[in-house]
Formats: sequence, structure tokens, C-alpha cells
Amino acid sequence: MERPTQPVIPVEPKKTTTSLIEKATGTIQGFSPVNKIHQHLCAFHFYADDMNRQVEAHHYCGHQNEELRQCLIYDSPESDARLIGLEYIISEELFLTLPDAEKPLWHTHEYEVKSGVLFMPSVPGTLQRKDLEKICNTYGKTIHFWQVDKGDNLPLGIPQVMMALTRDGQLYESLAQDVEKRYGLSFEKERENRAYMEGLKHGIHPLANAAGKGLKTVLRETDCKPGAGARVFV
Amino acid sequence: MATGGEIPGMVPEREDPVPPGKPMSVEEQLLEKGAAMLQSLKPVKQMSQHVCTFALYGHDLTRQIETHHYVTRINQDFLQCAVYDTDESHGRLIGVEYIISDKIFETLTADEQRLWHSHAYEIKSGLWVNPWVPDMVVKPELENLAKTYGKFWCTWQTDRGDRLPLGPPALMFSPQPGMVRPDLVEKRDKTYNISTHALKTLRVEIPEPAWINPWADYWKQHVEAGKGFAVEVQPAEMKKRAPFP
Repeated sequence: MERPTQPVIPVEPKKTTTSLIEKATGTIQGFSPVNKIHQHLCAFHFYADDMNRQVEAHHYCGHQNEELRQCLIYDSPESDARLIGLEYIISEELFLTLPDAEKPLWHTHEYEVKSGVLFMPSVPGTLQRKDLEKICNTYGKTIHFWQVDKGDNLPLGIPQVMMALTRDGQLYESLAQDVEKRYGLSFEKERENRAYMEGLKHGIHPLANAAGKGLKTVLRETDCKPGAGARVFV
Repeated sequence: MATGGEIPGMVPEREDPVPPGKPMSVEEQLLEKGAAMLQSLKPVKQMSQHVCTFALYGHDLTRQIETHHYVTRINQDFLQCAVYDTDESHGRLIGVEYIISDKIFETLTADEQRLWHSHAYEIKSGLWVNPWVPDMVVKPELENLAKTYGKFWCTWQTDRGDRLPLGPPALMFSPQPGMVRPDLVEKRDKTYNISTHALKTLRVEIPEPAWINPWADYWKQHVEAGKGFAVEVQPAEMKKRAPFP
């Protein structure tokens, strides 16, 4: 359960003038990159340095091409959902082209898909599985900016690298049951339905999933190349 | 380990800016459409504004990018934005920005405040625009936003040629006077048939905030010391409740 970690600030609901302006901008402007988002995936993430902190993650994904998707991550599927992070999903082939220093920031999806815990709400199993077969063999890079599991009511602190489930016993039973109940499904049943799926061609790369260990982010004060400051600049 | 301040070893660069990967087959496209019709996608439908502006890397102010923010207003004090590198359909998702009112900003600790930037200059200078919408229509919104602070994390450094999102996120700062290269502004203005310079004149009436918190725009206070911020990823012992991986 969430407890705000800061005083709950009385916030103003949207003013009427603001809503009217938004109706105008919403109508006149184009939203092409966002219109590419066509898919809702529900899954779980945990912090790369703390498996005990697990978050239900609602992914809204668009394909850049067959091998690369980009997803916005929200804490719920509702209209007041908080944008808590993002994830990039790439094919196994693309993952293998990444520099070794980069690979640990990426996680596998094989277990999540095969166990049933990653799913597409409202989409019939037969249709879902056609895409999940592909997701099964992808790698993801997930960054969260808002630690809602801590009760933060604002996106505080620095970005967090997140990991995904890789075996039975990691996911809290209560989180699993809560999702199963809400969506009227059974992960166990889905696991049976997905048993036919093939995993990664080259197996789980040893450097993926935080190189099998853990990761954390730190903020470093650094030398900053100064800007030009010339009068001709804007 | 990877840091936000260095190039960790890029995937081989090609002329073509499109991310690597095979295009989608017809079957895949149909599947995509079929599934999309069944799902509600509510959070994404809340985006109500497209904003085009500029941002600078917190560890290297000479690196500047044009950004396209797709904005959702949660309430009068808080907005969340998905940020792309272009407004075309192939736009790459390069990060997330959060925007808060000055009222909320003042409740943050100093440590947190230094990760945020002010918006007053960006708006009054005409750098921040809502493409295709007459300025008069959005003026009340601009007056509101001129008093806000933003926190922008960039996860894909496309400006340095990264063909995939590499490294840890980079903290971004907002333009302040004399920062943005004129060629970037000209290119943007040409795309939308606008004049940033003319907008600056139009926006003269937008009130300056009475006060901008000195903890925001960190680099400004430390420009002589040449200090900024970078996020680093380091190995760590993962707390576990079950074996991993």
C-alpha cells in the first residue's frame, strides 16, 4: 500500500481555461509518434538492486520496426495513470550487436512470457500468443523515473534500472493473484498454452539481466562542457 | 561500467538514421491493428499538447537537441511528457520530462531541486512552441508554464549517432540566454513556418516569475566551476527473495 513520503500538497484540479486550450491543441495538432502506440502489455518489474521491490507495469508500446519497440510505462491502465518509466524492446539479433558494457542493462523476456505473467489485457489468447511468441525472444531495457512503490507522490530522485522476472519464486504471490483476479485470468493456464513457444536461439546471454548480479544508478557531479554564450546564440 | 558522460562503444553507424531492424511484415501489421482495436490505451489518450522546444545535456552544454514533447496534464500543478526526437511517425522515444508548478517545486529538498530546470526563459524567448497553434490560443497556458520547473531524463542520445538507446539516462537542462545554436532554431522555425524571434516580441507581456529558485538550473550557479551532473550505472549486490537469474 502506498503512503505518501512527502506532505500531500493540495493540488488544484485543471482549470476550465486549461481544459479548453487542451481541446484546441488536441484537435489542431498532430500526435504521430504517439499514434504509433498500439499495444498494452501488463508485466512486473523489480529494481536492479532490489528484487523485493516489485512494480506492476503497464506498457504502451509501438513498433519502430519488427525488431525494435518503444514503450511508455504507466502504473495503471486508467486515464489518471502516472507515467513512471519507459522500456525499449529489441530482437535477439540486435541485442547481440550491443557493446558488452551495455548488455547488463538489458533483461530477458523468456520467463515472463512462458510463465504467463506478461500478457495483453483484453486480447484473446490465440491472437496474443502470435505476438508473445516474438516477445519471448526479445531483450528489454527498462528505466523507471518514479518510485511509486515507495509511496512517492512525485518523480523524485534519479532514474532506476529495472529487471524482469527470470524464474519461479521471484514474484510475490499477492501481486500475481491481484492481477489474475482483476483480469480474470490464470497464469498457470497461460503457461500451459504457451508451452510450445521456443526460447532465445542463442540462449540467455550471460551478460544480460545485470550480468546475473545487480546494478544501481548513482548521480555524479561532473565536469560540464560549458555552452558557447555568444551573443549571436538564442 | 557505463556512464552517461562517455560514449560506451556505439553500434556501427550507417548513413541512414532509421533504427536498425527489419520492417514489419503485412501479417504483423494486421495483427497489430487487430489487437489495437480490442485494447483501450487510456493513459496514452490523455496526451493533449505537442510542444517543440530545445534541451541541453547536463554534462555537456554544447550538445543541444530539438525535442518534441507529448504532454499530459494531470492537474493544475503537474504535467508528464513523453519526449521524441521528431514529430513524425517514426519519432524515437528519447526520454521523459515531468513539469511541476513553482508551488510544488518549493516543497522539494535542495538535493532534488538541483535536478530540475526553470522554464521562464524558454517560454519568453519563443523557443518553446505548440506547433500549428496560434500563440494567442495558448497564451494562458504559456503564462502558467513560464512559472514551472521541469525534470528531463534523456534515455536515447540520438544526437551523437546512437542507433539504439545506450548507456544510463542523461539529465537535461533547459535553454537559458545565449545557449541555443541559431542553426537549430532556424531549422525548427522553417519546419513550422514560424519565427522564434517574432514570438519573443509577442510574448513580452508574459510575466517573468517573481523569483526563480537558485537550486534549479544547477549549471548556472556553477558555470565558473564547470560543473554538471551525470548518472552512472554501477554493479551492486541485488537484494533477493529467490535465486537470480
